[in-house]
Amino acid sequence: MSWFFKSKQVNLAILVASFMMGFVPYFLEVPQVYGFANTLTMVSAVVGQFAIVIAIYSQYRRSLRFISERRKGWVYNIYLLVLMSVMILMGFLVGEHHASYMWLVNSIVAPCSSVVYGILAFYMFSAGARAFRARSLKAALLIIAGITVLLYQAPLTGAYFPGISPYAVFLTEKVGMSLNRMFSIAIITGAIMLNVRMLTGRELAFMGFVGEEGS
Amino acid sequence: MITIVESLFHIPGVVSGRALGLILIIGIFILGIYYMRRRKLPYIRRVAAIDAIDEALGRSTEMGRPILCSYGRGGFAYSVIAAMSVLGHVARIAAETDTRLLVPTGGSHTGYLTRELAVDIVRSQYQMAGKPEMFNMDDMPFLSGEQYSFTAGYIGMLVRERPGAVIMTGGHSSEAMNIAEMSNLVGALTITSGTYVSNMAALACASDYIMLVDEQPAAGAYLSRDPEQLATIRVIDIYKILSLVLIVVGLIILNATGNDFIRGLLAS
Amino acid sequence: MGKEDFNLLKWMATYDKRWTYLLLFILVLLPMIYPIGMPISVSELTKEYYEQLETLEEGDIVLDSWSTEYSGYMELKPGMISSHKYFIKNGIKLFICLGHPEGLALVQALLDEELKSYMEKYDYTYGEDYIILGTALPNQAATLAMATDFQGSVKVDWKGDSIQGTFLDRIETGADIDMISDYTTGAGNPGLINHIVLTFGTPMIQNQIGVSLPGSLANKDAGLITGLLASTRGGSELELLVNEPGPGLIAMDAFTLGHYLLIIFIVIGNIGYFGWAKRVSEERERTTIR
Repeated sequence: MSWFFKSKQVNLAILVASFMMGFVPYFLEVPQVYGFANTLTMVSAVVGQFAIVIAIYSQYRRSLRFISERRKGWVYNIYLLVLMSVMILMGFLVGEHHASYMWLVNSIVAPCSSVVYGILAFYMFSAGARAFRARSLKAALLIIAGITVLLYQAPLTGAYFPGISPYAVFLTEKVGMSLNRMFSIAIITGAIMLNVRMLTGRELAFMGFVGEEGS
Repeated sequence: MITIVESLFHIPGVVSGRALGLILIIGIFILGIYYMRRRKLPYIRRVAAIDAIDEALGRSTEMGRPILCSYGRGGFAYSVIAAMSVLGHVARIAAETDTRLLVPTGGSHTGYLTRELAVDIVRSQYQMAGKPEMFNMDDMPFLSGEQYSFTAGYIGMLVRERPGAVIMTGGHSSEAMNIAEMSNLVGALTITSGTYVSNMAALACASDYIMLVDEQPAAGAYLSRDPEQLATIRVIDIYKILSLVLIVVGLIILNATGNDFIRGLLAS
Repeated sequence: MGKEDFNLLKWMATYDKRWTYLLLFILVLLPMIYPIGMPISVSELTKEYYEQLETLEEGDIVLDSWSTEYSGYMELKPGMISSHKYFIKNGIKLFICLGHPEGLALVQALLDEELKSYMEKYDYTYGEDYIILGTALPNQAATLAMATDFQGSVKVDWKGDSIQGTFLDRIETGADIDMISDYTTGAGNPGLINHIVLTFGTPMIQNQIGVSLPGSLANKDAGLITGLLASTRGGSELELLVNEPGPGLIAMDAFTLGHYLLIIFIVIGNIGYFGWAKRVSEERERTTIR
């Protein structure tokens, strides 16, 4: 029976059927498919979450090996395992709405997440201060545009020098937005092409058939 | 005129407002299959960043420091697949030059799926170079399924291992800035790709080399010579040209006649 | 050998970047402790967002999508607080959908801490005026299911209590939602646009972080988003418009000073480049050629 699940053709057929379940109701008025499509999408969302179990196992295995071998930074692995275990136990024992679990989230997870995101501001600041050099005419124009937008973004400037607004808005909304759209066209077309490759059996790596792409 | 366009694209059985989208997608399918089946591979130019990658790898080898290469934190997205080609190229050179290769993985829940492919690619490159013993699974750690936990782990690797080169391609988002700046601090040559459009400007400031949007899949296609990836780049170029033509024609018609037929067409 | 004389231009070209971190830290911290109270202007974007809020009537149902982690909440906080104060004050019904597991921390941070007294003031109660559905919209699939068959896909709230008998009984499909209010740190949940806005024409307002703003501007320009609030600055402007000063306005002094400091460092760097670095590299090239 395992041949059935390992068969490339069977996997491809399931892929094509799943694709049609999502594609057809979006573009075509075929109400008979809506129910199947909804069920399939819910199933895929649930199954995806089970992958977390694999991650937890992988992290335990790796960290325990690092600790036993006293590799560089092994102390951090102890910290990681202890916190991970505590949160898993708390989550199962008392539930995610319990005060103690929420305390762990609010005291450790949330601030750490905020710090890593907040540091971005400092990195962007230093990168911008370091990189903006008028080495050429193009670079000089870029600096002028950048300074215009920076001045506009500072709320005090808008209050005292409202005249800067049309130039900055032009740069942000017309130039910036149109570049965004151009990138989006490329990214979306590439994503659809990847789907074409998958559906025609030319990109099978995601199904585990590495090095066996079809012709 | 908009009414005419609406009735033109009111195809029975097709959801209203999606007919043009359906036609464009079918167009991608047809063009994609055509180019993938062609014997003659589409031509794409050598992206400048490929030279930068080779320079970075050489620098790391001379300095005796490891190379750090990541492919992003998304699932099987088109940029991640292209980044796998870059990873394969880097792994091959690392194997040939006996340089240690570090590949941090994770960053999203779908990272578990792409990790398996990355492990296979790196292992097979070491095997093809005749050095299977060099492959070390611990050099490809799964850091976390959460973005900022992944970032923290990545930065920790940078600070502890002090690589000579950091090659960050594929589907990275805001954490790319953290990583690029930290890799600058540890003195690594930083090559990134800007698929997260919002971050691109800041990333360009922080990196030594950056591949903008399409350059990274083009680099992946160039390195792998994979007909499917080359066909993807060709279809993207065709659609970009089509978009440009529609924009220019629409502007001309709008300014000459006051008629926004093209806009109505695109909105149908 | 004597110590080299201090060269200002050389310092401007080669200063240690940690000075930028230190100065930025100080300039951000001080105004938070000792507010200056600089004036701010209200942008057209925020005015449009506020006009969208004003189209809502008492009793209207809004899908409140929190597609942000806790880190993004720090940036979106002023906009989230002032938007929710508007909803509370005007009796708008909310059903809150979290798009990220860290959203649980947001519930506590926003509802239990920031807005608790405000909700008590306006008698805004759970179950009658707002319901939290938990991580109900983690992806497009879930959004599609909710949009096409709300009663079939959503039966309980985030604690497992039945939602029957609440204002959510009025919702059968996405067409019955009066507005979507989305707080996101990036692409957010595209399913909201794909499966609700495009399908049913439901108006959608969005509070977006600064770096992802150009992408959302494209959606706004296409009419997919009817109101867009830009990051902390937009949130502070909204605080002015709804007349509820909060953390956004406090942050604006630091915001302004941080921006000006960056401009100063760019100017310093360029003075150093033209005054010293460019000259040195040209001299080096001449020496090498010889």
